Amino acid sequence: MNRGLHWFACIVAGATFFLIVAGALVTSNAAGLATPDWPLTEGAFLPKVEFLGIRTGVNMVGNLFWEHGHRMVATTVGLLTIGLVIYLFARERRQWIRRLGLIALFGVIAQGLLGGLTVKLMLPLWVSTAHATLAQLFFCTVVSLAVFTSASWMREQPTMEEQGGLSLRYLCVAASSAILVQLIIGATLRHSATWDQHLPTDLLLTHVGGAIVVTLLVGSAAWLLLRRYPGEAFLTRPAKVALSLLALQLLLGVAAYITRLGSPNDPQPLNPMIGITVAHVACGAMVFATTIVLTLRSFKVLRASEAAVRLSAQARSLEYKL
Amino acid sequence: MFKQIKVWLVLTTILSLIALGTACSKSATNGPEAETPSATSKAYVPKGDEGTVSGAIAFNGAPPAPKKIDTSADPACGTANPNLTTEDTSVKDGKLANVFVYIKDGTAADGTKIGDYTHKTPSDAVTLDQKGCQYVPHVLGVQVNQKFKVTNSDPTQHNIHPNPKSNPGWNQTQPNGAAPIEKTFARAEVLIPVKCDQHPWMKSYVGVVKHPFFAVSGEDGTFVIKGLPPGKYTVAAWHEKGGPNGTEKTMEVTVAANGTAKADFAFGDAATASGNPGLKMMPALDLPMIGRH
Repeated sequence: MNRGLHWFACIVAGATFFLIVAGALVTSNAAGLATPDWPLTEGAFLPKVEFLGIRTGVNMVGNLFWEHGHRMVATTVGLLTIGLVIYLFARERRQWIRRLGLIALFGVIAQGLLGGLTVKLMLPLWVSTAHATLAQLFFCTVVSLAVFTSASWMREQPTMEEQGGLSLRYLCVAASSAILVQLIIGATLRHSATWDQHLPTDLLLTHVGGAIVVTLLVGSAAWLLLRRYPGEAFLTRPAKVALSLLALQLLLGVAAYITRLGSPNDPQPLNPMIGITVAHVACGAMVFATTIVLTLRSFKVLRASEAAVRLSAQARSLEYKL
Repeated sequence: MFKQIKVWLVLTTILSLIALGTACSKSATNGPEAETPSATSKAYVPKGDEGTVSGAIAFNGAPPAPKKIDTSADPACGTANPNLTTEDTSVKDGKLANVFVYIKDGTAADGTKIGDYTHKTPSDAVTLDQKGCQYVPHVLGVQVNQKFKVTNSDPTQHNIHPNPKSNPGWNQTQPNGAAPIEKTFARAEVLIPVKCDQHPWMKSYVGVVKHPFFAVSGEDGTFVIKGLPPGKYTVAAWHEKGGPNGTEKTMEVTVAANGTAKADFAFGDAATASGNPGLKMMPALDLPMIGRH
């Protein structure tokens, strides 16, 4: 276990979360095309400075502040990811973790390219949605790296047999998958209409339907974990966090809908709408990350019940005989 | 397994790079081709008996109060225009400004469809200025292929981003003090929304038509379309509010030789067309290009 490596992975995950917030601010402020240039903004990267009478850099006023600010945070995350991969290859012995680091690196490169495509193609829906989705997947990858390098993961954990008929490990996988699909629907919804347009009703209803599915899956997974393994903090802690964040996310979803409903009549994107929709995106990312942690930990400490193993062996043998 | 992942990652990266390269190279040139005259087209030659369509745009009901715009994100805007407000419903004494009025269809007395005439492209440019972090004028019209000039009179930079449906879209930054940007629109399109992505309150609308028979209602709500050959026409009036694509109202008028036809429109609450008896109201048309971002 390398404590420094774990903390570095946590820093990259934190920076990625901040990047998701910065990206959501770009969308809510309708700042995605504040500059037609990419990767630089009007030939510069650093904000405007005046030194010895010479003015240089990006004048970060209006929506350029959000768009170029997002690019600066993204560059920082890119550099941090490179640093993390170097750190992994220098200190991490587990080959599969190094590979996961490489996947994160490819992810951040692809994400940068998708960001460029959104600007150059002037925000086509599929590219913007792909950009928002890959952001969540990258976040999930670096969160996983932080989990795998943590002391609690490295420590020998006693494994427990799954209780009850429903496998909690696979229920967690289903919950994570449902959240990912819900994030894609949410991203499509957000990028389908700017602040001065009404949200498309069909997508909005799909997103509401997705919220019900996610609530049922995450809620039941967390509740069953809390009921079946009340003394296992390794599992109950992320389960409690996931439940709390889910409740907050539902409230934020309702608030985001209310503020977004009135925004087409506003003269410009206003702070209540911006703040609440960005918080909804950020909380969605946190729900996803927490459920991923819950899923990984459930696979770490839970194993199939004897009955399930026997049943599976019988099924295999029957299949063989047939 | 790991080899497969590597292959997919490399392929994805290469494809992304190709897509990015393609996007960069074609972004300025994509879009539909310019309109070409049809077999029935003929050059329009004034005969000296041209008439006029004139009218006023009323606003029924209490107009919404202009909303104050928060310019704190760009202090230069606050300095240049400290009392910046919205212009989407500009009403004075019950009359509505910034309504684009144009001849949508019709037939001249000699049987020629208005759309079959070809018109000389005016040599002078139509200018859209950015002044006080607003577009001036708020609504304007240009003929197909007429020069559309964008200037920046502000002490701050802007970006000009039209969102056409039939013409190629573009997005260009214009720093303060920079040379005017000149463009043309090759296809008729009513109306193209123009916005500044740096200052999201800045909006303008450009009507691109094949002929010179269009006008924008002034502060007193009036408009005049001159030089129309005698005939029967559909006059359309478009205003940005009332729906996601704005609201368009039409009416039929008959222009006599050297005569003036009246075409008064009304927007707002329970708006109805008024003026010539027997004028037909048509339902608002769906213009999907309006408000598309």
